[in-house]
Amino acid sequence: MTFFVDRLTSFFHGKPRLTPAELQAAFRGHYKEFRALLTANNNALELMAEMEQALGPGHPFGMTFVRGNCTALSVNIYKMIQHLTRLADGRYAELDQPFRAITKQLEQVIASRSVSTEGTTILAMNEVDASTVDQVGEKMANLGEVRNRVGLRTPDGFVITASAARKFIEANDLQVEINRRLKGLDLDNLEALYTVSAGIQSLISTAPLPAELEEAILAHHRQLETGSETELLVALRSSALGEDSSNVSFAGQYRTQLNVSREFVGQAYKEIVAGKYKSQAIVYRQQRGFRHQDVQMCVGCLHMVDGAVSGVMYSRAPDDPRSPFVIIQAAPGLASTVVDGSAASEQFRVSRTAPHAILHRQAATAQSQSLTEAQAAELGAIGVRLEEHFGTPQDVEWSIDQAGLLYILQSRPLGRPASVEPQEPDEHSTTADSLPSPLLRGGVCASRGVGSGPVFTVRSSLDLLRFPKGAVLVIETPYPDWASLLNRAVAVVSETGQMAAHLATVAREFGIPAIFGMNQALATLKNGSLVTVDATAGKVYAGRVEPLLALAAPKPNLMAGSPVYKILTEALVHITPLNLTDPTSPFFRPEACQTLHDLTRFCHEKAVVEMFTFGERYGFNDKAAKQLVVENSPAQWWVIDLDDGFTPDFNPESRYVHLGHITSVPMQAIWQGMMAFPWGGPPPVSLGGLGSIIFQSTRNPSLDPAVRSAMAAKNYFLISKNFCNLSVRLGYHFALVEANLGEFLTENYVSFQFKGGAADQNRRLLRIRLISEILSEFGFRVEQKVDAMTARIEKKPGPYLLERLRVLGYLLIHTRQIDMVMADEGMAASYQQKIMADLHTLMDTPTEG
Amino acid sequence: MSEFSILVVDDEEEFVATLVQRLRKRGWASEGVLSGNAAIARVTASDFGVILLDMRLPDMDGGQVLQEIKKIRPASRVVILTGHASASEGEEGIKNGAFDYLLKPVEFETLLEKLQAAKNCSP
Repeated sequence: MTFFVDRLTSFFHGKPRLTPAELQAAFRGHYKEFRALLTANNNALELMAEMEQALGPGHPFGMTFVRGNCTALSVNIYKMIQHLTRLADGRYAELDQPFRAITKQLEQVIASRSVSTEGTTILAMNEVDASTVDQVGEKMANLGEVRNRVGLRTPDGFVITASAARKFIEANDLQVEINRRLKGLDLDNLEALYTVSAGIQSLISTAPLPAELEEAILAHHRQLETGSETELLVALRSSALGEDSSNVSFAGQYRTQLNVSREFVGQAYKEIVAGKYKSQAIVYRQQRGFRHQDVQMCVGCLHMVDGAVSGVMYSRAPDDPRSPFVIIQAAPGLASTVVDGSAASEQFRVSRTAPHAILHRQAATAQSQSLTEAQAAELGAIGVRLEEHFGTPQDVEWSIDQAGLLYILQSRPLGRPASVEPQEPDEHSTTADSLPSPLLRGGVCASRGVGSGPVFTVRSSLDLLRFPKGAVLVIETPYPDWASLLNRAVAVVSETGQMAAHLATVAREFGIPAIFGMNQALATLKNGSLVTVDATAGKVYAGRVEPLLALAAPKPNLMAGSPVYKILTEALVHITPLNLTDPTSPFFRPEACQTLHDLTRFCHEKAVVEMFTFGERYGFNDKAAKQLVVENSPAQWWVIDLDDGFTPDFNPESRYVHLGHITSVPMQAIWQGMMAFPWGGPPPVSLGGLGSIIFQSTRNPSLDPAVRSAMAAKNYFLISKNFCNLSVRLGYHFALVEANLGEFLTENYVSFQFKGGAADQNRRLLRIRLISEILSEFGFRVEQKVDAMTARIEKKPGPYLLERLRVLGYLLIHTRQIDMVMADEGMAASYQQKIMADLHTLMDTPTEG
Repeated sequence: MSEFSILVVDDEEEFVATLVQRLRKRGWASEGVLSGNAAIARVTASDFGVILLDMRLPDMDGGQVLQEIKKIRPASRVVILTGHASASEGEEGIKNGAFDYLLKPVEFETLLEKLQAAKNCSP
């Protein structure tokens, strides 16, 4: 087990010496690849999450969705492989084989049903439902369901289909020119982006409509007009196809044109089609790997409702998917005034059960009530009916015209806030549902559902082995390693994490309810206590809550049983199952990757390792190193600037550097930890301990001081402003600390590797165990192999990581040579006590600087 | 007091024609010109409520036209409406007295809101 020593030795001797400039260039190159890989990784995981959610209730989808998402997913995974290969100087090229094999299988699944490019250019609203989604887009497909399947009143009208948009673009031969303008566009150059976007939109909105299409639109318009006494005004509503319309940041991007009269219908239509190239939409698609031609703009052309009172309705409270009431917002006039918040609206809470009484009314001003009891009850009943039909809470736009007729203008799944803030219990939601008050509330829903069982907290691999079947898995961080527990767990509660985490994907795959980002989960949920986890609502209750468990029966998607649904299910077989869960397993290899999820997992893991070992893989010219000027330090410290680690006024010719010239945030934190308490000197050594050191030295040449090079006595910081790699050789042990604090949480990590020591193996083991225990206590994920250990924290905020770096700095200094006293259990215990006491003092000390 | 009317200044003939028509349909008196010189001539002759000004004109730079208009009628409200996004040009325009800076393509409803806002604060 001398691999670590060997690697460190090669670090100092074996590599070609790089000049400072070469070293900096290498670091910058690596860093860029690393960040790009993380971006692609996030995209891929989000796309997988969306595809899985599509199978659940709520969204109609067609082949355009399946094909577009698969393409985007493949693009992002291809990018990840490219970035990893460059990060690893050409290694991992063999990933290309599983990638090709998997994408080929995917293509075969998808090719079994092609998207028809031919088709009618216009569909009347009477012909529209979920099965026509590939022609009319999600928004109009939903409205068609409301009209033709649920049987509610919606405005008369028609949809100008995806085929129409395709024909329009093709007739003017615009796609080549559009792609030419987009090619090489720098998304960070906003002026160029807006200019190109405006240019493309102008190109589209000034191109003539094919005569055939224009006539068809006008013919349908004339039909609408029949019987109307006044001039017909229509609303043109965009209904994008092939994009994730549930994405909150995207909602409202494509606007509606209201009050359009006959002579401007064609123009308004072209402008909405052109809106596909709004600057935000270009950025969104490009960043997520969607091809522009895979997205089509369908447009609904609907009779304007002359609204007397209009508004929106949520079939449940947005922050409480179990609320027993519907929320209605109403204002005089058109619905758009409520949607865009421009009118003072009135809010009603209406009971979800008949006779749908008004439970609560709230108005911004002392206005007269805008809805009658009967109207509120009618709306409430409709909200419940729409939720039943679509299988998920709905966000509904409605309008009541001058004649008192109620129209539904839009119905879509109710988006939940990204993170549910803990709230005061609501009188209506708790009493009416007769649920106990929850132990915990908040977090994000990583996987829907309800599960009940005894709590089992997992902190280490040992807990993993003891995990009982049927327990609720409670963790601090959703590491992919815990995935192996999901066939035993009934629910997951994690203190941190997002819905795009690997573990969330696996939880959805297994259908295990999961709440991530639940504050106080570890402190509140005690091992062995029985709880019920309502992941859909973001709540955890004490005991078994039967009414909730009864509610948990899954609701089908509207598309269930359709050919498209079957194809997506088959495609997901090659996408989401995660076989590579354990990075330490011998099967964690490129050829073991069977799904796209495996590939993302493998690339991400290896990319982090490649970043961790940056310092080891590059030699450097000794002249690049500046000696740190310090007093009373037990060792020599040298600093190498990789990028922007020194203040601008530092003289590069100088051989010495003062702490004041160091801008590296992680290095400063490590240093604070090192210097926070004076080192007590070597502990008193018993005769046995000393004999042990002498004995070891005779057998292990790398520990013989005569063999060690002069270089080995120096300790090196490789730094940039947000990065630090420290290699330490203090006494007889080696340690590596590396940290990166980036703009995004996904870039953040602290890693620590530790090996060696002069005492016999038993004592070294004891010390490593001591350090492991301390680090686990501070939230590190520790892996121990014989007498070497690695500890890591990833994706945590900067301040959290800086505290951990101070802990590591402290440990580097204060665990020196304590293996010599480790055989004495009493002394070991008292050392551990002192260390923990010091560390807690250190954590409470405000950061200097 | 004369009617509150809109002058559209842009070199794209179809854009000007459509916009003027749509504005009139919604009850805004409006007319259009295709060059900087024509714009200056119209502004000299009559007082417009709002002037919608493109920055790329065949005969003059939009910034110049803005300055000329402000010389002739310092109280006029000029809204820059351009397809060439440029922060510096926008800042320059605002500094030289432009009422607002909009990027093409602007939603028709948004434009109406801006016009209404300009009208509401007109003397």
